[in-house]
This record gives sequence, C-alpha cells and structure tokens, in this order.
Amino acid sequence: MIFECHDLDRALADPALLAELQRHIRGCETCRNQYRIWTEISNTAKQLHQEWDSPNLWPHLLAAVRPERPASKRWYVEWKLWAATAAAAAMLAFALAYIPHSPAARSNDQYFLTEQTLKEVEKNEAAYRRSIDELARLAQPKLETTAASPLLQSYREKLLMLDSAILETRSNLDQNQFNAHLQSDLADLYREKRLTLKEILTHAQSN
Amino acid sequence: MTWEIGLPLPFGATSPDNPTDAQLVESCKRGDLRAFEHLYNLHSSKMKSLAYHLLSSRSDAEDAVQETFLKVYKAIGAFHENSALSTWIYRILINCCYDVLRKRQRLAEKPMPPQLPADSKLPLKVALERAILALNDRQRLVFLMFEVEGLKHSEIAGVLEVPEGTSRAWLFEAKLALKKMLTETAK
Repeated sequence: MIFECHDLDRALADPALLAELQRHIRGCETCRNQYRIWTEISNTAKQLHQEWDSPNLWPHLLAAVRPERPASKRWYVEWKLWAATAAAAAMLAFALAYIPHSPAARSNDQYFLTEQTLKEVEKNEAAYRRSIDELARLAQPKLETTAASPLLQSYREKLLMLDSAILETRSNLDQNQFNAHLQSDLADLYREKRLTLKEILTHAQSN
Repeated sequence: MTWEIGLPLPFGATSPDNPTDAQLVESCKRGDLRAFEHLYNLHSSKMKSLAYHLLSSRSDAEDAVQETFLKVYKAIGAFHENSALSTWIYRILINCCYDVLRKRQRLAEKPMPPQLPADSKLPLKVALERAILALNDRQRLVFLMFEVEGLKHSEIAGVLEVPEGTSRAWLFEAKLALKKMLTETAK
C-alpha cells in the first residue's frame, strides 16, 4: 500500500496500518505533527481531571438522608436526646420547686431565660464553641487519614451526627432563643462533642 | 448491622473491606450509612470532575453530585442488578447535569460559548480544555469519561445505553475533531 496523507485518519482508527503510518510520518512533517497531537490529546486529557476538597459535601448529604432512615436505626440517638431533655426538665422542675422564690421569680419569666441571662449563655457558648472548634481542628488530621481504623471511622460518624444535631438544635433555638430546655440540649451536645474529640486525640496518642 | 452513636462498628462487619457492588447495594438498601459513605468515597471524586467539565462550575458540580447521591439513596431499593452500580450512578449524574443545563437555559442564561484558542502559543492543556467545549454532547461525554476520568468502554456503553462499539466510534470522532481544531490553531 502506498500511504498518502489522506490515509492518516483511517490509519489512526486501524492498528493494522500503524507500521505504514510510522514509515510515512518519517518523511511528512504535516502528518507527523498531526500524529503527535493525536497521541498528546490522550496524554494531556488525563491532566484535565479536576480534584478538589469538598469538606461540606458529605456532611450535607448525611444530614439530608438522615431523617429518611428507618426509625429503628435512630432509636439510640433519639433515646439520648430524650434522656438529655428529660434530665434538663427534671433539673428545672427541681430548681423551681426548691429555690426560694423572689418576687421576680414568681412571674412567668421564671420558665424562660431573661435577656441578661441569655446574653451570658450566648457569650459562654461562643467561647466554648471556639475551644471545641480548636479541638476539632487538632483532631481533623487523625480523622482524615486514609488508613483510619474502624474505631476512628466510627468516631467520625458520631461527630457528623453530633454536628447535625447541633445544627438542628441551633436552628430551633433561633426561633425560640429563651427556651432553657433547648439551651440545655445544646450544651449537652457540645459536651458530647468535646468528649468525643478528646477520646479521638487520646486514641491517636496511644497509637 | 446497626449504626449507633458511640458504638464503633467496622464497615461491613460481615463483609470484606472492599465490598462487592452486590454487598454495597444490599447494605444501602438496609439503610446502612457506612455503605453509603463507602459508595460516596468510591465515586465522588470522578463524579465531581465529570460534572465540572459538563457544567463549567465547581459549585454546580458539587450540587449535581449531591443531588445524584440523594437520588441514589432514595432509589436504591428499586435498583436491580442487571446493570453495574457505577453505571447506574453515572447515568443519574449525567441526567442531573443536564437538568442543571436545562434550568440555566430556562433562566435565559446564555450557554457558555465554545472558546477556541486565540493563538497557537496556548499550552496544549488549555487549548484542549477549550476545544472540548466545542465538541457535540455525545463526543464530549465519551471523551471526558474515557480519556479524562478513565472509565472503560464497557462502562461508558452502560452509562449511555449504547453498544460498546458505538462508544469507541464516538471517542474516535471526538479525537478526530479535537485533532482538527488543535492542528488548525497550531498553523
């Protein structure tokens, strides 16, 4: 076969013509250039793969699918939330029954946080949250390691779930800032998160 | 297998570390979020990249991937294993991306015009990226899936529901068109 420039495309599709093509491009600069581009297209295409971190994607997905899980899978989580709420309610009832009532405390306001108390709670919560965020920042590299142990994977899921519960509680609080029950729930969740992070760091140090 | 707070349970306590598609599907059908996360870790990186090339926006790509996994989670109960799990997921992703593109058109956003290299001094990577935008939909899809994301022709054929030979033919067409664009601008 006499290989000519118009045979180039046919040769690119047919490996049987590769030898003819190789011979031809030795003496034809135009075809050589086109063949070079043909091979470079595939090599360069691999560099077009885009890789970037999306740290919020999985937590968002998890938060979106979590409510749809069967109730039986959530009993433990719900039990914990109910227990925390019940404990907070019991403490509040105890306080209301035994703390000497001042005239101000006898008003309906006693069931809710006052403006001043709320400011204090928010200030403390912000400081507490910052310290937990710092702890989370320290624990993050341990959690992101590709060879994470099943225990670490479990901790990671627990943290995701706690973050989701914190978000939900905060969102409820936005609608009712003076609700002491919700503030107490939120404090419990933060405490749980802090303990979990501490366990992760202890676990990492022991390995 | 249950998924409970505070109880460290390894993924697939009764399965190997690299579960098969069938095991993943079974676990996902039972609502096992660990299996779902495994699925996400397996595919999300390539899916984001493919969606990015189709939508030209990282945030839109992330939205499309999120939407895809939500659909997968909701519909996995109805998934029948007459096709591969990855094939099914990529098909949903491509449909999600086209939904975004259709929405953009409805909102009268101008589709991004194909931008060809203005001069021959552009690095091949940039020139190629721009030339891909000028391909037709099927050529672009096959090229991106095969050459950029490394899917096999058998997988691409499954995603696009065409014979494997058609996938190969579309890839050849795409590369010919790209070669033409790149050699013309190089002149």
